[in-house]
Amino acid sequence: MDLPNRPKKNRTLLNISFAAVALLIPLLAGGQEYTLLLFCIIEVYIIAVSGLDIVFGYCGQISLGHAAFYAIGAYGTAILHNTFGLPILLTMILSASLAALIGALLAYPASKLVFHFLSLSTIAFGEIVYQFLIHSPGGITKNFNGLFTQRFSIFGYVFRTNAAWYYFGLICVAVFLGAKYYLVNSKTGRAFTAIRENTHAANGMGINVRKYKVMAFATSAFYTAFAGAMYIHLASYVHPDTFTQRQSVLFLTMLLFGGSGSLLGPIFGVVSVELLIESLRAFQDYQVLIYGVLMLIVIVALPGGLYGGFRDIAILGKGFLKNHSRHRLDKGRE
Amino acid sequence: MLTTDKVTIKFGGLTAVNAVSLHIAPNKITSLIGPNGAGKTTFFNCISGVYKPNSGRVIFNEKEIQGKKPYQINEEGISRTYQIINLFRKMNVLENVVVGMHPRLKSGYLSDMFRTPAQRKEERSAFRKAHEWLEFVGLEEDALNPAASLSYGKQRLLEIVRGLASDPKLILLDEPAAGMNSKEKGELDILLKKILDLGVTILVIEHDMKLVMGVSDYIYVLSNGLLLAQGTPMEVQNNPDVITAYLGGE
Amino acid sequence: MLLNLIIAGLVLGSIYGLIALGYSLIYKASGLMSFVQGDIMTVGAYLGLTFYHILKLPFAVSFLLSILCAFFLGMLLEKGVIRKLLNKNVMPIYVVLATIAISYIIQNALMLGYGSITLFYPSVFNVTSVKVWAANIQPEALLCLGTSLVAMVLLHFFMTKTKLGTAMRAAAMDSVAAESCGINVSLSTGITWGLSAGLAAIAGMLLGPMYGVFPILGATIGRKGFSGAVVGGYGNMYGSILGGILLGLLETLVAGYVSSVYKNLFAYIILLIFLFLKPTGIFNERAIQDV
Repeated sequence: MDLPNRPKKNRTLLNISFAAVALLIPLLAGGQEYTLLLFCIIEVYIIAVSGLDIVFGYCGQISLGHAAFYAIGAYGTAILHNTFGLPILLTMILSASLAALIGALLAYPASKLVFHFLSLSTIAFGEIVYQFLIHSPGGITKNFNGLFTQRFSIFGYVFRTNAAWYYFGLICVAVFLGAKYYLVNSKTGRAFTAIRENTHAANGMGINVRKYKVMAFATSAFYTAFAGAMYIHLASYVHPDTFTQRQSVLFLTMLLFGGSGSLLGPIFGVVSVELLIESLRAFQDYQVLIYGVLMLIVIVALPGGLYGGFRDIAILGKGFLKNHSRHRLDKGRE
Repeated sequence: MLTTDKVTIKFGGLTAVNAVSLHIAPNKITSLIGPNGAGKTTFFNCISGVYKPNSGRVIFNEKEIQGKKPYQINEEGISRTYQIINLFRKMNVLENVVVGMHPRLKSGYLSDMFRTPAQRKEERSAFRKAHEWLEFVGLEEDALNPAASLSYGKQRLLEIVRGLASDPKLILLDEPAAGMNSKEKGELDILLKKILDLGVTILVIEHDMKLVMGVSDYIYVLSNGLLLAQGTPMEVQNNPDVITAYLGGE
Repeated sequence: MLLNLIIAGLVLGSIYGLIALGYSLIYKASGLMSFVQGDIMTVGAYLGLTFYHILKLPFAVSFLLSILCAFFLGMLLEKGVIRKLLNKNVMPIYVVLATIAISYIIQNALMLGYGSITLFYPSVFNVTSVKVWAANIQPEALLCLGTSLVAMVLLHFFMTKTKLGTAMRAAAMDSVAAESCGINVSLSTGITWGLSAGLAAIAGMLLGPMYGVFPILGATIGRKGFSGAVVGGYGNMYGSILGGILLGLLETLVAGYVSSVYKNLFAYIILLIFLFLKPTGIFNERAIQDV
């Protein structure tokens, strides 16, 4: 007999309706290319932010330089394809793997650092990669001109519409989120969470903290880099300014807005922040200011993120109902 | 089982543990007692790998383990609990125990990420074993509650059973009875003997003399970093140095 | 050529030193890293410009006024945002993000208020260059060096010789003990943030006349300033000054002799090297905990 290891919630109906909506988005968007593009970008960000969630939400390691991995993925796939003509999907996997390797190399010495100093090292790493993008030796990144990429195709199929790309993105999201689900509910995932909760005790439980921090960083880098690779093949062009520290902060904001340390949190966060940014497009000049104000509001009012907020409201609601009914029972006894 | 050979730990100018040599016999309960600040927890920290001794050796089953990292020492077969409760607060009780099993689980990163059939089997049996551990200490009702929601005494029990989950040969208990009421201490007494029956050797730091005298096979007394006295409970109780150390002008 | 580079390096270094000094003061007092320092520097530069160029006040008066304004800005920041968040017991990451958010707000607000083109200070001095030994130097550079030196010395005396300064140091070292000695830790922390802001404003007002003023003037320098603080020993006042000066010198020499293209890269590489190999810095400041 299998004893449960966590409170079982019947989510099947919810999951099916979620999946149905996701599959039907291109129809719901009614052929509006721009709206569809927005959803494609949301897919990219979901994978990128889920990656950040693995290292920060689950393992507790703060990274303010994830845009660097995003860049490695984007530039890597384009350079490999443009220069060597390798199949695009292969270049995406290769550049994400390169990012994972670099992430591991960075995490190894950085695992000694905690919090502020760790975040400083990630900021420094992010800046170094950015400097490399704008001043590349031999101009491989084309510096400030930005990088163009050719028609996106996989296994011979050429993607001509945003709708087609959307379904590709959906498959990627399913794969990456599925892998994340397996990873966090496993021995490795528990080690990550233990390190976040109590690094000292985790060490005492036989968890090689350094090894797992490196694993978390490398995995996270792979995710965000692959997302970057997806991005360049969606937009066909990138400019170095997409990969500044502001982008790293955006990833983190989306994660915290939605709720870290969960599967759905990043989705909530990405969707809400992206829609918010889109709705502010008219106020181009005030965009950064409003963004800063929003960050402050989230920090002060919603520390658990939207997803955390919903969960709390749901728990409060259930608690309120329970108390209410108990109260009625007591009244009956009197 | 465990021998320390003149272990010394210094922090700057302060010598917290001064050339302490002792021997823990297998399948017995050994206690380490002494006034506050005697260096007992520092000594524990040295055995469990948190500190590296300035000099001296720690030998566990004929292997020198001083200077090894805490996770390596756990893999060797030594577990510990902490003076301040160090649970994984947001995980539920069951998960805390499963984390304790970490060194005994074989699955790796890739088998975790792709959830191979072997990994699924291992996870199922791990959680089953964890339930058994909870039954062993009487916590199975709280299995799915967050660890932080337990009462203080139950949290202490969880710490102990989490330490047992890795099937250690030796477990170090740092003040397990702290904050317990007398009923809970009585239950702890029984639990310690149950742990012994499992074949796990126990080294315990405790302040509650009644518990110590009732449960120990052998006692070491530490004072100001020095090994002051050792012996059976009877011998230690009547040792004049020990009486002075506890009652006389420190 | 070498002399020119060294002087330029010292000038840049003194700016880094002032910023790094602010970082260390805040870290010692609140245990936090603030990402707003660079932007307060920009605010200082704009304030100085406003007082000096627009309101036509004398340079010295503008200087002191903008320092004062920055001081209150720093205190307001600590009391209004940081302390509130700390009292709410939020995750520490949120405090870091809050400072980043405020830095974005300041950047955008300055851009809205003053425009994004570079504004120039009218000449502070009547001569355009001064001869020191074999080199021709901008008098503004000398002003920068001199003022930074004076500021650092004044701060040193304030911290070590005055009652308030000593109280602040005590509060930073152990807030509980200080509180029980009757020291108002809350006020002391606020003053520390105010002082750091003042130092940043000084840096801004020294930099402005030399390079012109634009909204992200301080952001880059603020980020590189962390390097100076870590090199010297994060949290150590004197270490920060030394680290900042070293960083400025090395960066300028590298730009002059090796390549000016990778100039910005240098500070970050040094930062990584120190964080990975010697996080306690030159002065071995034990502010960090190990895993």
